[in-house]
Amino acid sequence: MIRLEHVTKVYEGGSVAARDISLDIQKGEFVFLVGPSGSGKSTLIRLMLRDEGVTRGKIWVAGKDITTLPKWKIPYLRRSVGTVFQDYKLLPNKTVAENVSFALEVLGRPRSVIGPQVEQVLDLVGLADMAGRYPRQLSGGEQQRVSVARAFVNRPPIMLADEPTGNLDPKTSVGIMKLLDRINRTGTTIVMATHDFAIVDAMQRRVVALEKGVVTRDEHSGRYEQEQT
Amino acid sequence: MSRFFFLLREAFVNLKRNFLVVAGAVLAVFISLSLAFGALVVNEILRINTLAWQEGVHVIAFLRDEGSGGVPPGAHQALLDEVQTWEEVNGAFYVDKAQAWVEYQEIFAGQEELLEIDPTILPASIRIELVAIELHQSVKFKLEQQQQVVLNVSTAAEQIEQLQNLSNVLNVLGIGMAVVLGVSAVVLIANTIRLAIYARRDEVEIMKLVGASNWYIRIPFLLEGLIEGVVGAALAVFTVWLGATRLARASEGFALFRLDVSNQFFLRWGLLFIIFGAAAGVIGSLLGLSRYLREADGTGEEIPTGAA
Repeated sequence: MIRLEHVTKVYEGGSVAARDISLDIQKGEFVFLVGPSGSGKSTLIRLMLRDEGVTRGKIWVAGKDITTLPKWKIPYLRRSVGTVFQDYKLLPNKTVAENVSFALEVLGRPRSVIGPQVEQVLDLVGLADMAGRYPRQLSGGEQQRVSVARAFVNRPPIMLADEPTGNLDPKTSVGIMKLLDRINRTGTTIVMATHDFAIVDAMQRRVVALEKGVVTRDEHSGRYEQEQT
Repeated sequence: MSRFFFLLREAFVNLKRNFLVVAGAVLAVFISLSLAFGALVVNEILRINTLAWQEGVHVIAFLRDEGSGGVPPGAHQALLDEVQTWEEVNGAFYVDKAQAWVEYQEIFAGQEELLEIDPTILPASIRIELVAIELHQSVKFKLEQQQQVVLNVSTAAEQIEQLQNLSNVLNVLGIGMAVVLGVSAVVLIANTIRLAIYARRDEVEIMKLVGASNWYIRIPFLLEGLIEGVVGAALAVFTVWLGATRLARASEGFALFRLDVSNQFFLRWGLLFIIFGAAAGVIGSLLGLSRYLREADGTGEEIPTGAA
């Protein structure tokens, strides 16, 4: 579903965020990208979203080489990839329902389709009764649920999450992770950057550890820290 | 279609939400286009008046009385006949002493002291309309050759010519001013839209995140620019029309200078200005957005290979 081939990203000034990274992520997998701050987790997420370009290497998303994707085609890539961020990135002047439906408006879906689909996804994230509220009227956890609902409303095959629990307390984080796990069980591939070891250890999914832009470990059913032998 | 209405609704919601910024843009268009449209109307007033004056008498030849000072009877008619044959002359007519007195009384009606003159001192005259205003010197010269009959020659042509020159200068100035103010309107709108986008950069980022194409993001901004341009231009046209109409009404009966500009002129040029306002709004929005959307692509920072 996602393939990185000798990907290197060097920022202006020479700092290396990713160095010769190769990864193969299968359809339906749940992959944690772990590592300390500055290890290159968020950069990898941005590269997979073509929010940034690679310096070297290739990235395939859903069978397409996105490193050579012309600019005008980037929106089409993003429509097939749901994204969730630490700071929720919700439109403050739109209600919960409008925020979620916006992702479908962009696709040009008719109102008759948007209404039921939004209702369904808000039900899934447990916010059906808050559809008319504005982001400022919600807690952090609720805002992140709206963000997840928006990312999932058009049923993308891939979801990228960059520290989605970074601003949340442990209890709320568990709720968000349960939600992502549920989405993953529908067949959606999820790649999540995090440094929340409790979550990673509890979920027991594939773990790709990064340090200074280099993959130091890639384990199926892994933990945050490498087990001492 | 539903997509278009969604974008239109977005544009109106944004206009409502950013009322102050929008008011600033509308004001900018209004002021610059009011000045440009005002310059155009002043130019039209000058043109109308120049034309009106040109249609009247250009040269007056005041004549010596027949039967005195060696002017034989019938000399006036002979001169009129001759003048009418000149190729520079479009038409000429004779005003005798009695008609001159009637005219004098009309001009100085109510000014008793000026009316207490001996009517016989008023000379007869030949009023001449020229084929072209610039021929006045040639006609004046020819008349002055007839010293035996012609007392003196008076011509308004020089003033008309000066006015015509002034009108030409104003025409060029008006066009230049309209261009400069038009460009300023575009720049002002571009800056206003850029400010609006800067204020809403998070929104644009989120739009891009969910897969909105650049055009999808642009359209509400373009519609906003279009609406701002049209409203500002329409207000400018309406204000100048209102001002000019009021002025024309206030100056009714003032025969020397006409201030009434036809509604057809206002309709034709008003529409053109509104179209210009709309275009300025759209171009301004495009300019304002281009840089920001290019930056928002986030793909321009590739480092040449080997930097690692």
